[in-house]
Amino acid sequence: MTVSDQGPSGHPTVTDADELIHHHTELPDTGISRLLDRALTAIGKLASWFWVVVTGVIIWAVVGRYAFGQGSVLLEELQWHIAGAGWLLGLAYTLVVDDHVRVDVIHERLSLKTQGWIELFGLLLLLLPFLGIAIYEMIPYALSSYQVGETSQAPAGLPHRWVLKAILALAFMLIALAAVSRLFKVTALLFGFPRPLKPRTSQPETHSQDQQGDAA
Amino acid sequence: DDLRWKMPVAFATNLPGLGSPAAWVADNLTTASNGSIRVRVYEPGELVPPFDILQSVSDGKVSAGYTWIGYDQGKVPAVPLFAAVPFGMKPWAYIGWYYYGGGHDMLQQVYANKGFNVHAQLCGIIGPETAGWYANKIETLEDYDGMKIRFAGLGGKVLERLGASVTMIPGGELYQALEKGTIDATEFSMPAIDQILGFNQVVKYNLFPGWHQQFTAQYLLINKDEWDDASESQQALVEASCTAATTLGLAEGEYRNGAVLAGFQDEGVQADQIPREVLLELKAVTEEVLEEESERDADFKRVYDSQQEFMETYKVWDSRAYLPSDL
Amino acid sequence: MELETLFVIGMFLTFGALLMTGFPVAWVLGGTAVIWTVVGVVAVENFGANLWFDYPSSMGLAPERIWGIVESETLVALPMFIFMGIMLDQSGIAERLMNSMVKLFGAVRGGYAVTVIVIGVLLAATTGIIGASVVLLGMLSLPVMMENKYDKGFAVGTACATGTLGILIPPSIMLVLMADRLAVPEASVGDLFMGAFLPGLMLGTMYVGYAILRPLLQPNVAPVPEGLGKVDISVIWEVCKAVVPTAALILGVLGSIFAGLATPTEASGVGALGALLLALFAGRLNLPVLRSSLYQTTRTASFIFAIFLGATAFSVVLRGLGGDEVIESALLGLPFGPYGVILTILFGVFLLGFFLDWVEITLIILPLVAPVVQQLGFDLVWFTILFAICLQTSFLTPPVGFALFYIKGVAPPEIKVTDIYRGVVPFIIIQLVALAIVFLVPEIATWLPSVAYD
Ligand code: NA
Ligand code: NA
Repeated sequence: MTVSDQGPSGHPTVTDADELIHHHTELPDTGISRLLDRALTAIGKLASWFWVVVTGVIIWAVVGRYAFGQGSVLLEELQWHIAGAGWLLGLAYTLVVDDHVRVDVIHERLSLKTQGWIELFGLLLLLLPFLGIAIYEMIPYALSSYQVGETSQAPAGLPHRWVLKAILALAFMLIALAAVSRLFKVTALLFGFPRPLKPRTSQPETHSQDQQGDAA
Repeated sequence: DDLRWKMPVAFATNLPGLGSPAAWVADNLTTASNGSIRVRVYEPGELVPPFDILQSVSDGKVSAGYTWIGYDQGKVPAVPLFAAVPFGMKPWAYIGWYYYGGGHDMLQQVYANKGFNVHAQLCGIIGPETAGWYANKIETLEDYDGMKIRFAGLGGKVLERLGASVTMIPGGELYQALEKGTIDATEFSMPAIDQILGFNQVVKYNLFPGWHQQFTAQYLLINKDEWDDASESQQALVEASCTAATTLGLAEGEYRNGAVLAGFQDEGVQADQIPREVLLELKAVTEEVLEEESERDADFKRVYDSQQEFMETYKVWDSRAYLPSDL
Repeated sequence: MELETLFVIGMFLTFGALLMTGFPVAWVLGGTAVIWTVVGVVAVENFGANLWFDYPSSMGLAPERIWGIVESETLVALPMFIFMGIMLDQSGIAERLMNSMVKLFGAVRGGYAVTVIVIGVLLAATTGIIGASVVLLGMLSLPVMMENKYDKGFAVGTACATGTLGILIPPSIMLVLMADRLAVPEASVGDLFMGAFLPGLMLGTMYVGYAILRPLLQPNVAPVPEGLGKVDISVIWEVCKAVVPTAALILGVLGSIFAGLATPTEASGVGALGALLLALFAGRLNLPVLRSSLYQTTRTASFIFAIFLGATAFSVVLRGLGGDEVIESALLGLPFGPYGVILTILFGVFLLGFFLDWVEITLIILPLVAPVVQQLGFDLVWFTILFAICLQTSFLTPPVGFALFYIKGVAPPEIKVTDIYRGVVPFIIIQLVALAIVFLVPEIATWLPSVAYD
């Protein structure tokens, strides 16, 4: 996709900007990956609406303070709870659309096969071990919060802190799923297993309008 | 065996009374044990975020931690009673109750009941905090109504009942928030520490007495397995060092606060007393809040009752034995 | 050499080498942390190395440290400012500014370049999404400048460099992240926003100076266009109409922070709403646009936070291996005196900026050097602003310079990569001059915070 064919007015957008820096390895799709990606993308997109909610909560807090002199510890905590859930649940989605920043200088000059091998080793030796340790530690972390019935330390704050701690653990599990999905695509490319799917005539959604991100 | 403790702290060690005892204890343990206990201090956030010190000590991720345990009231509802109590004891009364009135053992029990695997040791105490820094004078209870104030802990709950808009703006943003009127008032600590945060440059009313925190206590939390593994001499040394740190911390605050406060007044800060009627009203609301907490948590009730009982017997001594301060 | 020093060097080398494979930065950081946890544990357990290293107090602390990021109130501003930037981009404000201002400045020699810079500064004060600014400025201005026979390097360098001002001039997500990492009252978000304001403006002014002086010395760089209408009241009126919404947003966000009506986090929410409304009034807001903007916000915020996750693991392992002490003693052992230490750090950051982008440098290097700077008794706001100017420059330095990538993508085909490199060189020099000025005259960074808050 080139920038100039974006939109009727040719108005450039941030989404175009991403196309210019992110160099995506064109991995083949597989049945299982498609399934996983679809689910993770749906979760990420749903979580994207949290930004509207956070905006609303902030406005509510500000207006409440000035118009009604209302206390806001609860609203302050609500802000980082929702915002935190937003980006946490977006992490897997960002991996699915391959928007995590890479240093492309050498990478983009390599053959697809070589890129595949890098991806294979990266997923197996860097990403998955990191996620493995994090998940292994996060589950008891969330569990203990549930067991002691942890609430906010501010008396007027939010109860049920375990919910967000559980979302933290869940988010990492979702990234792991996204990594597994990607791993299948890589093995499909390198070893033909699982069987790569033929690209559909109309590109899957995640590769047309969503493969966009931005290095702010 | 030789002990090596990584010790994250909740307050920067340059804060007198609040953080300085941690650095002193770490040094003293190494020196006094001739290297058999070595403690490495990690400033706030370097290793563990301050609010997670209890958790990581209990999980054995770090051997020890130094913190204001009131931060954990979301996990252990009874700990504020050991950290700072509105209309609570004076510092020397508190250590009386802690060392001789069964406080120390109760604290161990309170943690164990919530499943935390820690040994807690009182390891620092400071005297009253100020009741905060205010843009405007407090003359009646109604002055709290609609006030935007940053106020931590149970005291915050009391003010909220009185109609204040209580927030928990992060420490780093307090100065600006106060300067710019995002909030009308804030409390933080005692004068020697508030001075470091610079509130005196911003607002002119510094209120007393610190009804919400007559004492503020810090503890050394040690992983229980680590503690049980320590030899008796090592344990004795930790206990003695912490007791000494408690004395030194209190001494440091008492030594400095007067001069700092006098300096504030030279700069035009008004050190006002909260009117007695307002204090009485605050006390009544505080009692309501504490009663409610008692009903919610059995440990809270047990500790609160024990403290109340001690304060009742202490009262006659407290009111008669000390010279009035204006004499 | 001591074991700690070897390990610290080894850890950074591993990171650098793995980075070059092109695997995502965030996971390279996390993976490097795991690899060196293994190295550290093996060294202690199997080789009896005399290190204070173990798994529980390094990688084992991952959940606690990541939770610390989740529960940060300050960081809520990050996705909010991103959302604001993306919405603003959708509102078409920049196009309107360009169309009206070209008429105002166009007839002057170098006028198009000046226009680009003025618009760039205005955009910078409303948002901090560099990708958006560079792409916008490039798309809007390069065709016009080419048409008027501007020198390719001069034209593309101006658009490219101006687009990077947004990361320095507040509101800036970089400054939000820096304040969060520094976590000291004397360098809060508000302080850093204030501190960056004048240096940012100064840079903009220096850019304008260059855009005026260079054509004066080399007239063929920017020929005076012919057949442009005269500047009359209607042109000025057009400009005013285009500037008002932008100015309103600047006032709403920066104004409310500086006037204390809102904390920076709150202001970010107010800004997001403001940008939404501007897009609505411009008739550009519909469900597909909102949807794609929200998805975009998630992906951008998530990739920054992902680097955060990797970096916090990297840092805790580095600290466990003795990284703090090694770096502190290395810096304090430098034979150049305190100012020499600062210059060394800044030079290091400038060099790192060729290869890394601002997120990694902010998250890993800033917390390592800040305590040393404080120990030496320097003003942390001043130092952080110098640091920020270095990082802004990193967008312009190859091989990893995001602004270069962006502009390459939108530049007309006749502009070659060599033109871009040639074009940004003068701006990199201007950046270094600005850095030197702020270094020598700290008041440029410290004066505004001091009058605002003292
Ligand atoms: Na900006
Ligand atoms: Na660069």
